[in-house]
Amino acid sequence: MAKATISTETGVALPASGAGRFQGAVGPSSIVLPLGLAFLVLAVWQLYVVIWRVPAVILPSPISITEYIVAHYDILLMHAVPTTVESAAGFLLAVVLGIAIAIVITYSDMAREALYPNLVFFQLIPKIALAPLFIIWLGVGSQSRVAFSVFIAFFPVVIATTAGFLSVDRGILRLCRALTATEWQIFTSVRFPMALPHIFSGMKIAITLAIIGVIIGEFITAQAGLGYLIIFATARADTEVSMAAIVVLCICGLLLYGLVALAEAVANKFYSADSR
Amino acid sequence: MPSVPLKADHLVAEAPLVSVANVQKTYFTRQSPIHAVASASVDVARGEFVSLLGPSGCGKSTLLMMIAGLEKPTAGVITLAGAAVAAPRRDIGVIFQDATLLPWKSTLENVLFPIRILKLPLDKYRDRAHELLKMVGLAGFENKKPGELSGGMRQRVAICRALIHDPEILLMDEPFSALDAITRDQMNVALSEILEAYRKTVIFVTHSIREAAFLSDRVVVMGGRPSTIILDKKMPFARPRRFEIEETQEFAQVCRELRLTIEAAHGQRQGHGQGHGQGHGLGGARADGRQQPVKASAAGASIIE
Ligand SMILES: Nc1ncnc2c1ncn2[C@@H]1O[C@H](COP(=O)(O)OP(=O)(O)O)[C@@H](O)[C@H]1O
Ligand SMILES: [Mg+2]
Repeated sequence: MAKATISTETGVALPASGAGRFQGAVGPSSIVLPLGLAFLVLAVWQLYVVIWRVPAVILPSPISITEYIVAHYDILLMHAVPTTVESAAGFLLAVVLGIAIAIVITYSDMAREALYPNLVFFQLIPKIALAPLFIIWLGVGSQSRVAFSVFIAFFPVVIATTAGFLSVDRGILRLCRALTATEWQIFTSVRFPMALPHIFSGMKIAITLAIIGVIIGEFITAQAGLGYLIIFATARADTEVSMAAIVVLCICGLLLYGLVALAEAVANKFYSADSR
Repeated sequence: MPSVPLKADHLVAEAPLVSVANVQKTYFTRQSPIHAVASASVDVARGEFVSLLGPSGCGKSTLLMMIAGLEKPTAGVITLAGAAVAAPRRDIGVIFQDATLLPWKSTLENVLFPIRILKLPLDKYRDRAHELLKMVGLAGFENKKPGELSGGMRQRVAICRALIHDPEILLMDEPFSALDAITRDQMNVALSEILEAYRKTVIFVTHSIREAAFLSDRVVVMGGRPSTIILDKKMPFARPRRFEIEETQEFAQVCRELRLTIEAAHGQRQGHGQGHGQGHGLGGARADGRQQPVKASAAGASIIE
């Protein structure tokens, strides 16, 4: 009950904090309300475009965008695939890298002191400004976009995972030591499961950033991909195509986010604090 | 299933199972060193239940952690069955003030946790886990998660977990301090029943005089600054013990002697031992504001909280 209330009040699924492991069940109003609002906005948009006869170059109507998507789904799909694959690759590498750095930070005081301030300082750089450099360093292929995507997405994973690893109750660690547990046993049976809710909240942020990274890469240089399509269509004042590409991008983003949420739900089955 | 070894009979005059000899512990912190235990010597025989009693901060936990191999003595030697303690050992079970259960594991899985860590065959211990849970009145709660149990139930699970691999020695650090008074009395009775069924050597830290007197074969009182052992007294009550013994004159006498001993050590240090509240616990010592002036005067750097 309490959990459902919280998710309704905030409207969005906030990253899991220390309180409450994983998100709980979703109440009916938390589905109806956001969907209702979205439909309302689309309806207003449609009416506005029709009544004021807004030219399609400025703002195509939701219906015409939908029609375009239905008619040209093959072209859109062709562009969606590289974007989605590169985003997924960037995301996975960011998660692996992020967790690896978090492990180093957790287990080595020296590494923590050396690494952490630098990582935080790095975050102060507007990272988008570095995107062109990745193309100079890694060329115009996928690798530069994936690398940039990793670069943008790994930090939240580091922060969330480190917080998770360090959140382990000292009493439990002492118990493990008293039982002659090895560091590896403590990691696999206590630290990692304890950190899972944190890791997933980091991953949810990382997946959205990974997509942003790839799109920026495609803006700068690409021969395919939704980012490329958006830039290409906008340059030709083909706003309808551009909007259609954006819609497809949203769908791809939702799909990737949904996969992360699904993974979280599966982990929840094994590591939730309630027996269900 | 591991059986309960009955070694006591033929090993009566044996050397002590746990021997603490002239142990001293100083924590070297960034500020001044903290003399947690100035000098302690205790012997515990196989099968004996010994309580370490004293006000908060007198080094009871420190001494227990040294016996568990989790802390190293600054000086002195601790031996278990003749071998010096250098690191944690498999034949020790520990219980802390908090149950420290893994929140995502069921009661049964939590009880079996040491078996996993010690890489013992899980199948062999499942029956024992059920048996232990039944013993502490938790039959039927095997699949509940810790969040669904009360504090007393969680602590019972922790006791089962400490007993699952049939350790020789049980080390308990204020296991019932976080429980309410009624639950705590129940847990004391439950613990003595458990120990009648599964005979263990127990070292039990507490700051409750009544609890120490009720449970123990011997009560070792720690106190003074820096802290030493100031009394080592046998409890004259027969076993099995039931709650009624707490109402006897003899029990009141013993508790009174323990309390006076603690007060004497306490009073020396404070300069005014009289007239402050006497519950059956001594937990207020650390929070007692009247300790403050002492820091600046006689005891100097040795008083650090
Ligand atoms: N890890 C530690 N580092 C520094 N000081 C400690 C540590 N553990 C305990 N102490 C100090 O040692 C003294 C004894 O503590 P402790 O053994 O926990 O006492 P008790 O269990 O009797 O309350 C206290 O002054 C405490 O602050
Ligand atoms: Mg203590």
